Amino acid sequence: MSRKILIVGAGQSGLQLAHGLLQQGYAVTLMSARTAEEIRAGRVMSTQAMFGAALQHERDLGLSYWADDAPSFEGIGFSLAGPDGERAIDWAGHLSAPAQSVDQRLKMSGWMEVFEARGGRVIIHGVTVSDLDRLAPRYDLTIVAAGKGELVDLFRRDASRSPYRVPQRALAVVYVRGLERRAERPDLPVVNFNLVPGVGELFIMPALTTGGPCDILFFEGIPGGPLDCWGGIRHPDEQLELTLQLMKRFVPWEYERARHVELTDWGGTLRGRYAPVVRYPVGRLPSGGTVLGMADVVVANDPITGQGSNSASKCAAIYLAAILAHGIRPYDEDFMRDTFGLFWDYVRYPTIWTNAMLQPPPPHAVQLLGAAGKYQQIADRFANGFNDPRDFFSWFMDPAKAAAYLDEVAGRGAPAAAGSPAPRD
Amino acid sequence: MTSAPARSARVRPYAITGGRTSSRRPLLLETLVSVPGFDRAVYQELVAETREIYVLCRAVRSIAEISAGLGIPLGVVRVLVSDLVDEGRVRIHPSPAAAGAPEHVLLERVLRGLQSIQP
Amino acid sequence: MVYRASSPELSPSAISTKMVVAGGFGAGKTTFVRSVSEIEPVTSEALMTEASAGADDLSATPDKVMTTVAMDFGRVSLDADLALYLFGTPGQDRFWFLWDDLIRGALGAVVLADPRRLADCFPAIEYFENVPDMPFIVALNCFDGILPYGIEDVRAALAIDPEVPLLTCDARDTASAVYTLTELVRYAMNLTRDPVFA
Repeated sequence: MSRKILIVGAGQSGLQLAHGLLQQGYAVTLMSARTAEEIRAGRVMSTQAMFGAALQHERDLGLSYWADDAPSFEGIGFSLAGPDGERAIDWAGHLSAPAQSVDQRLKMSGWMEVFEARGGRVIIHGVTVSDLDRLAPRYDLTIVAAGKGELVDLFRRDASRSPYRVPQRALAVVYVRGLERRAERPDLPVVNFNLVPGVGELFIMPALTTGGPCDILFFEGIPGGPLDCWGGIRHPDEQLELTLQLMKRFVPWEYERARHVELTDWGGTLRGRYAPVVRYPVGRLPSGGTVLGMADVVVANDPITGQGSNSASKCAAIYLAAILAHGIRPYDEDFMRDTFGLFWDYVRYPTIWTNAMLQPPPPHAVQLLGAAGKYQQIADRFANGFNDPRDFFSWFMDPAKAAAYLDEVAGRGAPAAAGSPAPRD
Repeated sequence: MTSAPARSARVRPYAITGGRTSSRRPLLLETLVSVPGFDRAVYQELVAETREIYVLCRAVRSIAEISAGLGIPLGVVRVLVSDLVDEGRVRIHPSPAAAGAPEHVLLERVLRGLQSIQP
Repeated sequence: MVYRASSPELSPSAISTKMVVAGGFGAGKTTFVRSVSEIEPVTSEALMTEASAGADDLSATPDKVMTTVAMDFGRVSLDADLALYLFGTPGQDRFWFLWDDLIRGALGAVVLADPRRLADCFPAIEYFENVPDMPFIVALNCFDGILPYGIEDVRAALAIDPEVPLLTCDARDTASAVYTLTELVRYAMNLTRDPVFA
């Protein structure tokens, strides 16, 4: 028998889950506020760097259409700005599996078209509470996956899991062409993570956008500081100009290779800020119906650790497995809570790590980041933590474990080039 | 300076969609819906809101009029009309573009129509 | 309202198109739609969650505060087989996704401005400035027929591009409202002809 599932939201999690369910014979209706063409011609939505485990979920569903065209990156470069405008720390860790960033304008529009061509139903509509109230009883399960819409307010904030009430960074993203490679590592494509203490961060990563390969410049500014300065920007050109000025001032080693960049397209900029939040997973409708929240509807972390699209992909995989395993039993509130519980068992780690990264690094973290310049295995372990942040809790997130790990690395003698012995998945 | 919007999506899963580049036309607020031949047997089969829509669309109605006329939220109307279309119960009238009218021809027709309005 | 001798039923071969009437709260959108429509204007409502600025989770009430968002629309038959729908935007301009739905496929938009409260239409103008290929004009709804200042002063105050038509109208008057729509159509025709804007 074909069970009817309604998914609201056509982003990474909603579309990935929609494809997974469709492939298993479920009757899936997907509601999107925008058409595929509007998404493709619209504004960028994210930086969406996805690491090995998340990409594997896409491969499992046969959805990696852009894998051959998207530039891969194989490491995380880390630079800490010193007080003199020079780099106090600078190294690169190797990823065990390559990572990629495919502009969601490309991916979501393509996935939506394929979903429809394969028999999925797509309804173009910005869903309201009134709609959900009348639609939910018509489906065996209704899932809200539209993390940027107003429907998130159906899900109550979980104060015990949400340490912040206000945004912790001002975000500003620019997609550019013409960026040169970092001179010191011409052969290792990486995500560059530049940390300017007390000011914010600049991330630079290669990506594939609608017009071909590009790079993304992504500033995270501490509120009230010099990188929290995007309020007066009205035009994409102005944002690029200001981005370059700030790079020159705060991360001059990155500015050097960005002298000749240009915007990829008029939709290639994004600004905003939001408070990180964890919500309860069951939304209640006026008539008493219930809906299940997924991915950033229920867990919205700051993008400082690039976990949003990774967690969304993992959430879709977890929800898919839970729905399949549930068979023909009703998708009641217990099912919803249990399913979110499975996701939370994972996502609590990236959530806690991400919230910690928004704070000034504690002494043990500074010590580890410094030691990573000497011991390649520490740099590698740090890089691979972006693929699976659970590993950070065995060495990075706790002063005692950090000290023990440092002793272990140093005690083993010479700086090692081999990968870390820690589990990756 | 930068170039105009890059609309070309170089990488598309053509192989999967068979070269299709656009989704099915969305149901716009003004999209007209009608029942080509009202069938009592179909009427008996349908239930609740879908039956109400089937009855209402004996006369040509827009999506927005169906929603307001029956008090059914727009998103629900879009889902149900989509169902009815797939089952062959109702017909969607073509958009002016799909009906073959280039935009300037449509605009001229609209202008003439507006100018003919007598208060 | 426009009164037609014939029945307002649409023909089985009818096609439809749409224009949008936008503007701040109380700018006269509903009045404008009523002046042109041949049917009694219809109000369509949707329930929204009320965004709680600062997201207060201290109150343990599971019920979210809901708000109703309304949009008005009317219809006029332009010829035997062509219906024009007019949609007024919802007053609350934080629900931009509703605007996106309203304008999808529209021929263009009239932004109505109340000359006494010009700033109220800024969000609407800013919105349309950022929609590609969507012609819009600005109409000052002069309730008493008097514009207290020169129209070019208004253009400067609104900071709109010189090519965007700016005119006065009386939303209560059918002829004036219809004329405003014809100006929008003429502007749209110029844009489609001019390769610079194509």
